[in-house]
Amino acid sequence: MKILAFDTSNKPLTVAVVEDGKVLAHYESTEKKTHSITILPDIKKALEKANLTVNDIDLIAVAKGPGSYTGVRIAVTVAKVLADTLSKKLVGVSSLELLAANGDKAHILVPLMDARNDNAFAGVYQNSRDKFVSIIGDHHTSMEKLFDALKEYNEDQLEFINATPRLQELIQNQFPNAKIITSDNSLPDAAKLAQLAETKKPVTDIDDFVPTYLRLTQAEHDWYAKGNKDDGNVSYVEEV
Amino acid sequence: MEKDTLILSFESSCDETSVAVIKNGKEILSNIIATQIKSHQRFGGVVPEVASRHHVEEVTKCINLALDEAKVGYEDLNAVAVTYGPGLVGSLLIGIMAAKTVAFAHDLPLIKVNHLAGHIYSANFVTELQYPFMALLVSGGHTELVLVTAPGEFHTLGDTRDDAVGEAYDKIGRVLGINYPAGKKVDQMAAIGKDTFDFPRAMVQEDNLDFSFSGLKSAFINTVHHADQIHEELNKDDLAASFQGAVLDILSNKTFRALKEHPVKQLIVGGGVSANQGLRKRLADEIAKRHLDMELVFPPLRLCGDNAAMIGAMAQIQYDKNDFADLDLNADPSLDFDME
Ligand SMILES: Nc1ncnc2c1ncn2[C@@H]1O[C@H](COP(=O)(O)OP(=O)(O)OP(=O)(O)O)[C@@H](O)[C@H]1O
Ligand SMILES: [Mg+2]
Repeated sequence: MKILAFDTSNKPLTVAVVEDGKVLAHYESTEKKTHSITILPDIKKALEKANLTVNDIDLIAVAKGPGSYTGVRIAVTVAKVLADTLSKKLVGVSSLELLAANGDKAHILVPLMDARNDNAFAGVYQNSRDKFVSIIGDHHTSMEKLFDALKEYNEDQLEFINATPRLQELIQNQFPNAKIITSDNSLPDAAKLAQLAETKKPVTDIDDFVPTYLRLTQAEHDWYAKGNKDDGNVSYVEEV
Repeated sequence: MEKDTLILSFESSCDETSVAVIKNGKEILSNIIATQIKSHQRFGGVVPEVASRHHVEEVTKCINLALDEAKVGYEDLNAVAVTYGPGLVGSLLIGIMAAKTVAFAHDLPLIKVNHLAGHIYSANFVTELQYPFMALLVSGGHTELVLVTAPGEFHTLGDTRDDAVGEAYDKIGRVLGINYPAGKKVDQMAAIGKDTFDFPRAMVQEDNLDFSFSGLKSAFINTVHHADQIHEELNKDDLAASFQGAVLDILSNKTFRALKEHPVKQLIVGGGVSANQGLRKRLADEIAKRHLDMELVFPPLRLCGDNAAMIGAMAQIQYDKNDFADLDLNADPSLDFDME
């Protein structure tokens, strides 16, 4: 099976072409160039390097979030349109699970995306028989609440992945003995994304495939907070 | 007979996701428009992050509907076109990523289209354009007079100084308790009311062709607030008529001044506010009054607001000039004519 995998859910961009576990092409960039500019040229280059055309691909794998809203949307839009327009299979993988794949399989893995103000998108994963099992689902949380939830684990077992300097500082205060992989040393790897995608079921309805934001927009949050409710039938988007 | 050109075009610059299949820049085979108005009405105006999210939800559905309705497949297409600015960056990016992906997947040339040029070329579905022509662009973000000297050759004569005309409609509409987008409702009320408030006609005397609506907007809002404070009830239809009266005087004054400097055979009006019934009547009356031998062209209502058909019309001109974009195309949120 030939897989095209890519992730733009954070600053790094990664693209890989993998065939039956063998990495045919692999690009990683930490350049602060805009993903919207580079993603398609990078996909094109990766396919050329792999000596394949996009038509040869059997499955498209994409990191579906959480992460930077705009970043996730870029990869998800390319993935869903590509899968739809060429009738290919599509698999979305959690961007946090992809980061967990950078950890030590013996540890309790806590991948993080800094969401500012001492908040993060976080999940808790454990590897069992070469599969990542989510023990606490991906969610948006204050670091304080996250630490509370992690107290039941042995500190030496914990491994935090993709910590920014600020998150690193908070973690060290709370769990001085936990292992921390900083964001500089935890680039998402599309080759791993391809591998993870093989263990998952393809999306059944490509039209309905959207990023996993894990948060409402501020405007919606405020609107619901005022006591507003969606009235059952209302469709917010209409074809006219 | 020359071979037909079919262009799959995308528009997502604000709160409509639209995909169209256009034949030879003149014939609409399909023009799917998914509007998010109901969503943003919850917030009283367009929320960019909400808009971007909806575009991702809609994009593949719109592509497939557009192809189905046009009864064509990817193999029939000659090019893919997309709006790359001006607009909301997050919204623009969804159309751009989708268009680039389709172009890449099917090895089709990509065409980047200026949204404002699209509004002007809506007229291509109505009439045979004769160059040079004058375009009055009146939309949510722009009020401009543009002389179009040849296909795709734009010269801005008058520009937006502050609030655009559509924006002014939406803002005064809010003061009247009308939800966004208020233009249509204000237009209907204006048809009933009378111009009794005599709001200022900004810059009508001034010697340039730029447009300013913020003074008018402020005068309107002050009038309403003052009445509120002294618990006086103002007639809303008269308020609307007075606002629209000033808008039409300003638009008409500048337009005919531009036409005096540049006599042409066609006056094209485009953008969301070109749906305005008062404007349609006013410009027709002025042309008759001045005995001008000039065709006045308004798009059909469906093509006044944002849509991908107009993008396909403009794209055909660029296709004929081999003006193609690369896969590294990015959004340009503040694109204007003189920057290209
Ligand atoms: N009948 C009408 N009278 C006046 N204004 C109207 C009417 N119908 C729609 N509008 C206005 O048109 C505007 C929307 O137009 P359009 O969709 O072209 O704007 P936009 O795409 O947001 O801005 P731009 O095209 O400048 O980027 C809104 O401000 C709306 O109130
Ligand atoms: Mg518009």
